[in-house]
Amino acid sequence: MFEFFEHTADLGFRIQSPSKEQLFEEAAQALFAAICSNPELILPSVQLTLTLHESSTELLLRDWLALLLTTFESDKIIFSSFIVTFDGDQLNAIVMGEPFQPKKHGRNHEVKAITYHQLVYQENESGFLAEIIVDI
Amino acid sequence: MNQQPFQGRLEKVDTCCWRIPKSYKQGMLVDGIIFANESLLQKAKQDLALEQVANVACLPGIIGASLAMPDIHWGYGFCIGGVCATDPQEGGVISPGGVGYDINCGVRLVRTDLTSEDVKPRLKVLVDELFKRIPSGVGQSGKFHFQAKEMNRLLGEGPSFLLERGLATLGDIEHTEANGYLNGADPSQVSSVAQKRGMDQCGTLGSGNHFLEVQVVDQIFDSHAAKVMGLFENQICIMIHSGSRGLGYQVCEDSLVNLRKAPEKYKIELPDKQLACAPAESSEGLSYLAAMQSAAHFAWCNRQLLMHQTREAFASVFAQTWQELRMNLVYDVCHNIAKFEEHQVAGKMKKLWVHRKGATRAFPPGHKDIPNSYHSIGQPVIIPGDMGRASWVLVGQEGSMQRSFGTTCHGAGRLLSRTAAAALAKGRRIDQELASLGIIARAASLKGLAEEHSDAYKNVDEVVAVVEEAGLSKRVARMKPIGVIKG
Repeated sequence: MFEFFEHTADLGFRIQSPSKEQLFEEAAQALFAAICSNPELILPSVQLTLTLHESSTELLLRDWLALLLTTFESDKIIFSSFIVTFDGDQLNAIVMGEPFQPKKHGRNHEVKAITYHQLVYQENESGFLAEIIVDI
Repeated sequence: MNQQPFQGRLEKVDTCCWRIPKSYKQGMLVDGIIFANESLLQKAKQDLALEQVANVACLPGIIGASLAMPDIHWGYGFCIGGVCATDPQEGGVISPGGVGYDINCGVRLVRTDLTSEDVKPRLKVLVDELFKRIPSGVGQSGKFHFQAKEMNRLLGEGPSFLLERGLATLGDIEHTEANGYLNGADPSQVSSVAQKRGMDQCGTLGSGNHFLEVQVVDQIFDSHAAKVMGLFENQICIMIHSGSRGLGYQVCEDSLVNLRKAPEKYKIELPDKQLACAPAESSEGLSYLAAMQSAAHFAWCNRQLLMHQTREAFASVFAQTWQELRMNLVYDVCHNIAKFEEHQVAGKMKKLWVHRKGATRAFPPGHKDIPNSYHSIGQPVIIPGDMGRASWVLVGQEGSMQRSFGTTCHGAGRLLSRTAAAALAKGRRIDQELASLGIIARAASLKGLAEEHSDAYKNVDEVVAVVEEAGLSKRVARMKPIGVIKG
């Protein structure tokens, strides 16, 4: 489950999930909900496999979103479906989406970057919580 | 998330200047100085902006003070409106967070010989033509494509590269800050990912607060300076606000990853990870500077190509060449950049890295780094306001060299978060409200327009009054928007 929170110039998302895998998947959904206004219309016609390695889970979460953002901007593919697994410090992901079509998917924010500012990743009684501020 | 109003001690220096003493927080090496009147200061206290001024005061090698302009608001790492000068001879650092992701985001102003009466009857046609020609919004490609070798030259040479393709003139280059060229640029330091991300974006506006506006000169405050710049009352001008697009964002992203271990390596304690930095003359620092300056070249080329497409749109609508319409560039300023500049410190001239994040260079009359044509009046400073009220042209003043490392404000500064602005605009059609004020707006996203309405910003008139009172810059002309293109 994710929600957006206020930041004077930029945009934050808060994600609360029962598992670490689901937290990473929902963070990705939050990112693309910030980028396009109709994420429910994104079809899973293109599939990519992504891997990342970072010993800090907090930084791994930020890097995961940064990689998705770069892939969106470089390859013009917008994603809607994410399957994340972990092997130690390594993240393995299968991501699915389709070429970005502004008329179909709708334009929302141009996310410039995933910042490190007030980055939060912690375990709590409900599972895992993260807060991320993106530059828009 | 911690977003408590600032509770620290603020000492009044004068009616438009406040100090956060370095005793406020452990690790502060210098004071924080904020240029603001009482009302703007109260607004700045509501979020984490002043805490960020104090955090920047902890950066190694910082000289003078951690400064903030009256358009200060909460950013990431540095506040927006922040200025920090570091001395490389004293272990001074370079921090990508002090420049921002949008490297060389900036503004340019184009004059015309047209008056309001010439344009108003054709305003809708003009704005539609501009909206058709100027690529804007998320994921929008441009019409200019550069092969790898050409991109290498663009990143290494800046807008001078565009001269041979007929996309720029010598007058454009002369009226671009630093002549659009920074001699430390090295395209080999720009990753292939960054180049790919920006490949089809040179000549595109982007989204968020970026815009192109058709404006009318509403009031002249300094007739001599206005005349030197070719400005007169009731004149049509065009203001363009954009930056280095995806290429610059990725350069900053890559650099922050590269700097991840630098604080430990150089024994730097940081109050915020987003302030990641390294000594300016370290391998990490030099690598960032070379890439950042290349991205700055990309940004200048982006604004140059946006201006080129604007000139084409005007020529098409008014059936005259842009030269006949005398659509000359008044000036182009950066407001997210670090520049290596000479400043007087304790009676001695020193070369410092001046980080300006949401702040604009404002060199005074006679300064060697401003074009000959503006020597007598000082450097033009272009200050965008908001799309419903006004924008300004200022000139740099001597006080900027004495008080702010040759710097002034960069805009109105946000007052409301985007969420709050959108909530305030719920159920309203901002484009129709603007139309009732005689302003025609076109946007790739109506939501984007809602987040950018006037209530989301401080009053820019109040901001420029403070920088004038502080002696940082002087008011020359105020412009009001009549046509707006947003991403």
